[in-house]
Amino acid sequence: MDNSWKRYNGPQAGDFFDELITDTGRPRVVARNAVKMLQALSAEEMAARRAAAELAIREMGISFTIYSEGKNIDRAWPFDIIPRIIPAKEWRKVSLGLAQRSRALNCFINDIYNKQKILADGLLPADIVLESGNYKAQCANVSPRYGAWAHICGTDLVRDKDGRFYVLEDNLRVPSGVSYMLENREITKRVLPELFENHSILPVDDYPSRLYSTLASLSPREQRRPRIVVLTPGIFNSAYFEHAYLAQGMGAELVEGSDLFVDDDDCLYMRTVDGPERVDVVYRRIDDDFLDPEAFREDSTLGVPGIMRAWKQGNVSIANAPGSGVADDKVVYAFVPEMIRYYLGEEPTLASVKTYLCMNQPDRDYVLANLDKLVVKPANESGGYGLMVGPHASKEKRAEFAKLIESNPRNYIAQPTLALSTAPTCIDDSVEPRHLDLRPFILQGKDSWVTPGGLTRVALVKGSLVVNSSQGGGSKDTWIVEDKQT
Amino acid sequence: MMMLSRVAERLYWMARYLERAEDTARLTQAYSHLIMDIPAGSEPGWDILVRILDGEPVFGENRAYNEQNVLKFLIADDDNPGGIAYCIKAARENVRTTRDVLPEEVWEHVNELYLYSQEHAAKSVGRRNRHRFLEQVITQCQMINGLLMTTLCRDHAYRFIKLGHLLERADMTTRVIDVGAGALLGNERLNEAVDPLIWASLLQSLSAMGTYRRTIGPLVEVNAVVEFVFRERSLPRSVRFCLDGIRQELVPLKHNKEALRILDRSRRSLSRFNPEKAEREDLHRFIDRFQLELNRLGGMISETWFMPVKD
Repeated sequence: MDNSWKRYNGPQAGDFFDELITDTGRPRVVARNAVKMLQALSAEEMAARRAAAELAIREMGISFTIYSEGKNIDRAWPFDIIPRIIPAKEWRKVSLGLAQRSRALNCFINDIYNKQKILADGLLPADIVLESGNYKAQCANVSPRYGAWAHICGTDLVRDKDGRFYVLEDNLRVPSGVSYMLENREITKRVLPELFENHSILPVDDYPSRLYSTLASLSPREQRRPRIVVLTPGIFNSAYFEHAYLAQGMGAELVEGSDLFVDDDDCLYMRTVDGPERVDVVYRRIDDDFLDPEAFREDSTLGVPGIMRAWKQGNVSIANAPGSGVADDKVVYAFVPEMIRYYLGEEPTLASVKTYLCMNQPDRDYVLANLDKLVVKPANESGGYGLMVGPHASKEKRAEFAKLIESNPRNYIAQPTLALSTAPTCIDDSVEPRHLDLRPFILQGKDSWVTPGGLTRVALVKGSLVVNSSQGGGSKDTWIVEDKQT
Repeated sequence: MMMLSRVAERLYWMARYLERAEDTARLTQAYSHLIMDIPAGSEPGWDILVRILDGEPVFGENRAYNEQNVLKFLIADDDNPGGIAYCIKAARENVRTTRDVLPEEVWEHVNELYLYSQEHAAKSVGRRNRHRFLEQVITQCQMINGLLMTTLCRDHAYRFIKLGHLLERADMTTRVIDVGAGALLGNERLNEAVDPLIWASLLQSLSAMGTYRRTIGPLVEVNAVVEFVFRERSLPRSVRFCLDGIRQELVPLKHNKEALRILDRSRRSLSRFNPEKAEREDLHRFIDRFQLELNRLGGMISETWFMPVKD
């Protein structure tokens, strides 16, 4: 039986960087063993492994929820069995760059809510920051422990055709996806156990304990086992699976807003059958706006009245701290390299994507004249909503965005369309190249820590660059492999 | 081991709904059999099944109390909180958000029961499929109960599940006796020949017929049945058994004073009641009062351990 791999139509004349296969059609050094083993599988055997993966996903109950046609639908997690492989040597540099970036972003947030030195020094215009919807005046003059605000950061990386990693965006509010990174590894271990014999792959499964240590380091009380809770909006949230998964992994309670209350002593408690129990750290998975009806949206029933009071008094830590989103605005993104130099006195080690700010006249003119070449993004949306990929957009769509930009230039940025890297992916009965990105997670508490690898998301539609699972994306296990030959 | 009030509440209601689904199925099953045994003309009406569950307000005044309507109400209606399909759905909702404190298989089995009821409830109103459906529901509920009893760690989770089961069961047992009491049947329907049949079928709905024969004797006699079902310590569906079990689970809980006070009052009034001296009217009035006490106990449990109020 012919193996579909033999017909793999990989990178052509350097159009894209392929993660596993070089331009000459040979496996990359780091992926050689894996590709050899996978290519040796017959088509039937490959199909059997894929079926096994699907079964494992159903049995393990790995799902995500999408909201469609007024209904919540629980979908099985889309997973591709061919892993994405990155050499450890290369990853070490990326990892240092990510930690550097996270440190600078946290300095920035802490500065903005306190002395605002960076604005006084004129490095970036004050109105960009202070008039952004992500700036929360309620958070001014708070200094969380270690100056850490964004304790969990999910940074999206892509490789351009030059093979270099670029930072696409930082998610500092409630980044999700880490449980899928862990489950992807679990599935691969079940489905392709032979692959693990010939590789030394950096393990990922200590993430929950790393997260626990980070959160525990934030506890306002000196306790051997601080009380940590994961605050979820509830079962109808698209990431509920992950909330439950992480709570279980940390031995923390999974709570909803109504389980918590703030008492007259401005401390946070949870309601238990034995009476109120003081809470030290809240890993919250609900947005700022819904966190506290006393401070933000009055109509929120998901949050906890008074939790901001408790936080400002230093009686409870909240991760990520309210207001952290001020640094993941896509306009602010353009200034991160400057921040690294300003706060850390270091040169940025990770590249950023050239970003045009529509608020600046010359940039705007360039963007409007080149809509067919650029990706246009709203400044503070996530999940791939409301963006336009110029080269793939219709004329009408481009006209619509031109109008949007002109009416609210502050809200839009544009970036050149990157030639996202590809990797071999099982599509029906063959193996075809599909575009992907990578979301590593960076923890910042007393110490900082970066996941070895992260969540690789892959656009399953041919030629598509949209990898979000809410929009038909899939995922792959991501391996950081020690390469003994180099 | 710490337990969130919300989680305790959901476990408690999961148990109540599962028990209610099973009990309603048992009652419906027993009653359907009884009707076939009683000579035409003297058979009691289908309305009793609705009234026994206090379902009149939901059943409404515009529906006729005939077999088809009543059985649909009990088996398939999704707005009747005493109905089988409704209870199974509610139990599943409660498990969905408490999966992590339960043995893994519990979710699978409850979900399976739910899928079964979704597919078959509406088709099982008629006499032909009814029996099979009710048997299935009873069997699967028993299996889930068995699973819980043999795998749950004896901590708060177990405790609140048991409280839910026992309280619901005690309530249902008193309702079953109430069917036998004249007030529900109406005196004009009573006659000497039919009475033992009714009581026997009620015993059957409590899975207590065999034990009754062995413990009391083969003759089904009113006072003996009431005494047996109320106060037999060893019978798992007797009211006495349920109350004793509730007490056992309340004792280790904090803040249990009020709940214990109400429970002990119920236990005392149960021991004082004398079936020998009571007319059917008295029996019915006693049951009415007793059910109010059980409601009060349920209210106190939720006020003490579930209520989202500040202490």
